[in-house]
Amino acid sequence: MSLAEQLETYLTRLWGAPARVEGLSRIPGGASRETYRFDAQVNGETKGLILRRDPAGSLIDTDRRLEFLAYRSFHGRGVPVPEPVALEEQGAELERPFFIMGRIDGGKAASPFTVVPYGEHAQALGEQFFSILGAIHAADAAGLPITEVAEAPAPDACWSRELDYWEGVIDADEQHPQPIVRAAIRRLRREPPAPAQAIRVVHGDYRSGNFLHDEKGQITAILDWEMAHLGDPLEDLGWAIDPLWAHFEPGRVGGMMDRAEAISLWERSSGLKADPQALAWWELFNAVKGMGIWISAAREFRDGGFKDPVLGISGWYTARRHDQIIAGRLAALEGLA
Amino acid sequence: MTPTVPELLMGNFLCMIEPLPPEAMGEFMAGRVGVCAMISLLAAQEAERGIEARLWENSAIRAVLSKSAIDYGERFREASKGHDSDFSLGTLDRANAALRRHLIALHEMAENKADTKLHQEIIALYVKMAEARRLDLPPMPGS
Repeated sequence: MSLAEQLETYLTRLWGAPARVEGLSRIPGGASRETYRFDAQVNGETKGLILRRDPAGSLIDTDRRLEFLAYRSFHGRGVPVPEPVALEEQGAELERPFFIMGRIDGGKAASPFTVVPYGEHAQALGEQFFSILGAIHAADAAGLPITEVAEAPAPDACWSRELDYWEGVIDADEQHPQPIVRAAIRRLRREPPAPAQAIRVVHGDYRSGNFLHDEKGQITAILDWEMAHLGDPLEDLGWAIDPLWAHFEPGRVGGMMDRAEAISLWERSSGLKADPQALAWWELFNAVKGMGIWISAAREFRDGGFKDPVLGISGWYTARRHDQIIAGRLAALEGLA
Repeated sequence: MTPTVPELLMGNFLCMIEPLPPEAMGEFMAGRVGVCAMISLLAAQEAERGIEARLWENSAIRAVLSKSAIDYGERFREASKGHDSDFSLGTLDRANAALRRHLIALHEMAENKADTKLHQEIIALYVKMAEARRLDLPPMPGS
């Protein structure tokens, strides 16, 4: 049975009415889930939908329930996210775990390998990008659906929980010794950040490339919540301004705007403060986290028989970019840069 | 560093010959070909510069290990011995892995001893190591 037929069988059962799937097409990018767009016809109505299905091998091990609940937490609450429709953790008719969400048409996402992806709209998009991040962090996590599965750490334990996790990933998946990231991990442990000023929903992968824009200066959707969790909101800010996502423009975070302005927008929108020392810690941490993701990707590339080129380039080129970023940060912290 | 160039190019080959289901033949396949093209381009750089980068890095690590042996133990002098005579990437990587493990151990000892001079020397070496292994993408317009 083809995937389209499997989907039709599932949706017919879900909606209790005959469903027809048209235009099923896999979307490139993103190695943590297989992503497809399709139209479903039911009861004379056409619904534009997205299917996110677990792949056999993945860039990052994530919980699809958590991602689904993250969408539910913010849909209709002032953050542009697609409407979550259905979640099947056992895979049902599609054989592998998946969820379905509404499709937001007409949007474009930037590849991190491109230059000047936002053109004349960079400033306008940057203003929305950092204000939306602030809005996510302004939300009181208590009562949000994501708290069904995401545990809230103590404010002084956010940093160690995240660092322990990503160091564990590197320990498990490293195939060639990485002295630069190891030095960064030791430095992070020697000089931990101040406790989180608030425990909030952390998107976990909030960066240029993980949002859709209409090419006229409007962000239409914030995507890829698979690493969402509760923690220190500075974690997200540090990831969003990581040089890897700057589209080769050192002076513009996310390839969109000036760093100080971005931080100021985030502070205004979130009602929180970006303590420079704490943010510096989270910036270095995020480069370590990036290396954890890339090292895992390299492992998956090998284990999966070298078939997914996104895993290959992530474990190679992107890892080297982050090695440079970490080395530069360590040198700057020593006054060597 | 992983994955290796032969693995990446083998992967490109497998990507191209593997039949995909109809729903993956349009936009997804086009994106996949684009990533394979980038890998081929970067693999050409690695073929051009990779051996030189590894020879340099191995030699630089040996130098740091050797001169630190007086303060940090003879094992680092032992580790620094030898030279690279087989210039294949695989053999150089195997030697590099052993040297990097000793460098990590030495750096940790320097930190524990608050040996700022050696610590900073190693950090400066990291900057050069990362730079030597740099891969460059040509500017690809995003819109």
